Amino acid sequence: MPGRPWRARLAALGAGTAILIAACGGAASPSPTQAPTQAPTQAPSATPFEAMSYPTAGEVDCAAGTYNGKPYTGMIKSIKALDAKTVEFTLCGSDPAFLSKVAFSPFAINDTAYLEKAAADGSIVRNPNGTGPYKLKEWVQGDHITLEANPTYWGTAPLVPEVVFKWSTEAAQRLVELQSGNADGIDNPGPTDFATIANDPNLKLYPREGLNVFYVGMNNTYPPFDNEKVRQAVAMGIDRQRIVDNFMPPGSTVASHFTPCAIPNGCVGPEWYSFDVAAAKKLLAEAGFPDGFQTTIHLRDVVRGYLAQPVIVAQDIQAQLKTNLNIEAKIDVQESGTFIDNADAGKLDGIHLLGWGADYPDVTNFLDYHFGAGSSAQFGKKYPDIVAALQEGAKGANDDVRKPAYEQANTLIKQHVPMVPISHAGSATAFKADVEGAHSSPLTSEVFSVMKPGDRSQLVWIQNGEPAGIYCADETDGEALRVCEQITEALYGFEVGGTKAIPVLATACTPNTDLAVWTCTLRDNVTFADGATLDANDVVLSYAVQWDAAHPLHKGRDGSFTYFPSLWGGFLNPPAQ
Amino acid sequence: MTATVGKVPDALADPLAAQKPSSLWRDTLWNILRQRSAVVGLTFLVFLVAVAVFAPVIATYNPNEPMIGVQAGAKVRMPPCIHLLGCPANLPQHLMGLDGNGRDVFSRVVYGARVSLQIGILTVGFAIILGALIGAIAGYFAGKTDNVLMRLMDVVLAFPSLLLAIAIVTVLGQGLINAQLAIGIVAIPVYARVMRASVLSIREQEFVAASRALGESRGGILVRRVVPNALTPLIVQGTLGIAAAIIDVAALSFLGLGAQPPLAEWGSMIGIERNAVFAAPHLIIFPGLAIVVTCLAFNLLGDGVRDALDPRLNR
Repeated sequence: MPGRPWRARLAALGAGTAILIAACGGAASPSPTQAPTQAPTQAPSATPFEAMSYPTAGEVDCAAGTYNGKPYTGMIKSIKALDAKTVEFTLCGSDPAFLSKVAFSPFAINDTAYLEKAAADGSIVRNPNGTGPYKLKEWVQGDHITLEANPTYWGTAPLVPEVVFKWSTEAAQRLVELQSGNADGIDNPGPTDFATIANDPNLKLYPREGLNVFYVGMNNTYPPFDNEKVRQAVAMGIDRQRIVDNFMPPGSTVASHFTPCAIPNGCVGPEWYSFDVAAAKKLLAEAGFPDGFQTTIHLRDVVRGYLAQPVIVAQDIQAQLKTNLNIEAKIDVQESGTFIDNADAGKLDGIHLLGWGADYPDVTNFLDYHFGAGSSAQFGKKYPDIVAALQEGAKGANDDVRKPAYEQANTLIKQHVPMVPISHAGSATAFKADVEGAHSSPLTSEVFSVMKPGDRSQLVWIQNGEPAGIYCADETDGEALRVCEQITEALYGFEVGGTKAIPVLATACTPNTDLAVWTCTLRDNVTFADGATLDANDVVLSYAVQWDAAHPLHKGRDGSFTYFPSLWGGFLNPPAQ
Repeated sequence: MTATVGKVPDALADPLAAQKPSSLWRDTLWNILRQRSAVVGLTFLVFLVAVAVFAPVIATYNPNEPMIGVQAGAKVRMPPCIHLLGCPANLPQHLMGLDGNGRDVFSRVVYGARVSLQIGILTVGFAIILGALIGAIAGYFAGKTDNVLMRLMDVVLAFPSLLLAIAIVTVLGQGLINAQLAIGIVAIPVYARVMRASVLSIREQEFVAASRALGESRGGILVRRVVPNALTPLIVQGTLGIAAAIIDVAALSFLGLGAQPPLAEWGSMIGIERNAVFAAPHLIIFPGLAIVVTCLAFNLLGDGVRDALDPRLNR
């Protein structure tokens, strides 16, 4: 790892202070930035390892929910490098989903020196420096991204030396590119093209499990959706089976709960309302809208795994609302980024069509992100009883202990109806038949290093869109995450084509008995693409820059770092709302 | 002055006096009808206008009503099914099939004629009125007024028209009316230039000088003498412009900036189903054909009107 003069100076200062205090007869208390260096687990090097910890100043008071006297809603109490190869995460309570969370690509580990430079000057957004099987060769904005094999990769070398990412929003165009031989693989073929691909001997379809949810959201701060009966009426007045039967790809199912059943505790508690127009009309009349009302259906015309035909589904919901409930809905198609920003800011005054694909297979990824303490304002004011149930559920030591809390949360979600879960949609990837190792991932995290496209030296992959940036701590779009996952790695990752968390940069992360302290041991001989060696301080700083909103390196593409507070409960020094 | 004129013997009557007086419009219509392409265009147009006017009678279904769950055997993106041509009797008959929402494509194409004709005529009407006004003022008053107005028009013309229309719709917001407004604004300079060129030529004519000598006001001369005589090229340009306006609004709707769902508009029908081009090509072909036929009709008619009104081409 390159030299760090400022840290050397701090070390000297710390050592001097310790000597002085020791000379005065007192016990030297460790500096917050430099936890006592324990015996290194690797051969001593010329520069002794100076272990970092975070936070560097003050302490998190989990019981009071404060940090340095300021409100703190997060789950992490501290992160410490115990030695060069050991990191300790201390949490405010049990977290059985810890491994799944640290396996998620936004929590990839960056080199300390690189972060200090690239996050500060903004180059991190376009020039990643990871430990993964590939490194960035070029990014021609608006056209393609080329990755080349990382020659110093610690694991099995990639089977294909180059991967080219291209993008097109049009499913038909992606298919043409695949059929014509310009691409080796494509994401999300159109639902109408599944049969075409399946019947083509030169192509192969890889169906993707519906580990996602498509929902109709309602914001409780705008009338008439501030009335719970209106929201319940909408829930009962939409024929979800009709939507799944006619507009969703094969493999899709009607959502019985917000979270897919494949996720533990995802669908505990009562099933969603059945389609009942008479009951819905009765509720509308009780709410004071016997003749319906006028509203807007907001959406973005962007294909995602959970919704392959946005405008067509919007039109069917529009028709159903009119026919079943006499609700006149106008369709408002917004630009993708604007739509997401408006949804998160709680600016969508009607109903909105949105969805969610699993990032890691835990119920917190679905429920906490949308309805938890750190969730956005897309459904308006938070429902305190749902938040409390989710906080209770997140603390449970295992799935059985957590189950009652999630039953309660799902019951309350059904009662309050912040949204109507429509479906868990199947989707697919498609590859040329000669691509060995081709697969689809239920987490949309396809791994290209295990694929071999015939005798070609390049694998061309066409996805839905271009990443906005590839510093994925500050991205939420799956199009960006997939690129990041080829270049950078986290402590854990997910098995190829599956959802099981497996060690990657860590050889193991082991918990204490109540799952509140997790100790991760790092893999030896891992280097970043720039030649720097992975150590525990890299882990501490990679998390710290996301965790602390006031950290000087808390910088990315737009600085929102959306996933961190959603998954870990909140920022240190959170920005003013 | 009153004069008493005696009856002229038939043998001495002027043969020219016996002819019906010449009328620009009658001559034009006659000239148009003498051209085969114009007749074809006019026939198509009459047919389209009839389709638009009688859409509720011609359309077999409500264009916005999904058939799924209503009609047994109806499936989204069902191909055309005509029983006479061998489509099984247990399948519902839909001449152009069903779209992605299970709506009857034939009914939507028929109602789309209404929308497209309305778009073309209103958009061009708006552009002609404003363009003619600006062109007439610029051409007649000349000098600084001409310079300012025409440089303004040059600025608008400097932008690619569809790109400028997209920018305008982005500012005004999506929707058919805003799309029409945008296309209309973009088209104004064309009509302004045509009108100005005509006015510049007519204002030097002797009958204008005569009006001026008789003391008629400048405004009066412009409105009563110049403008009526400068309309001919504007009519030609307008007829051709309708086709362009229909295509432009269809393009905006294709991009999702014009007609909003569920309105049956040809461009938006193609745009929404663009990804089904291989699996259900009928959803692209029928509205596409409707656009082609309508634009062809206006172009043929426009060419005919131009030829008919151009004295150099008079036969």
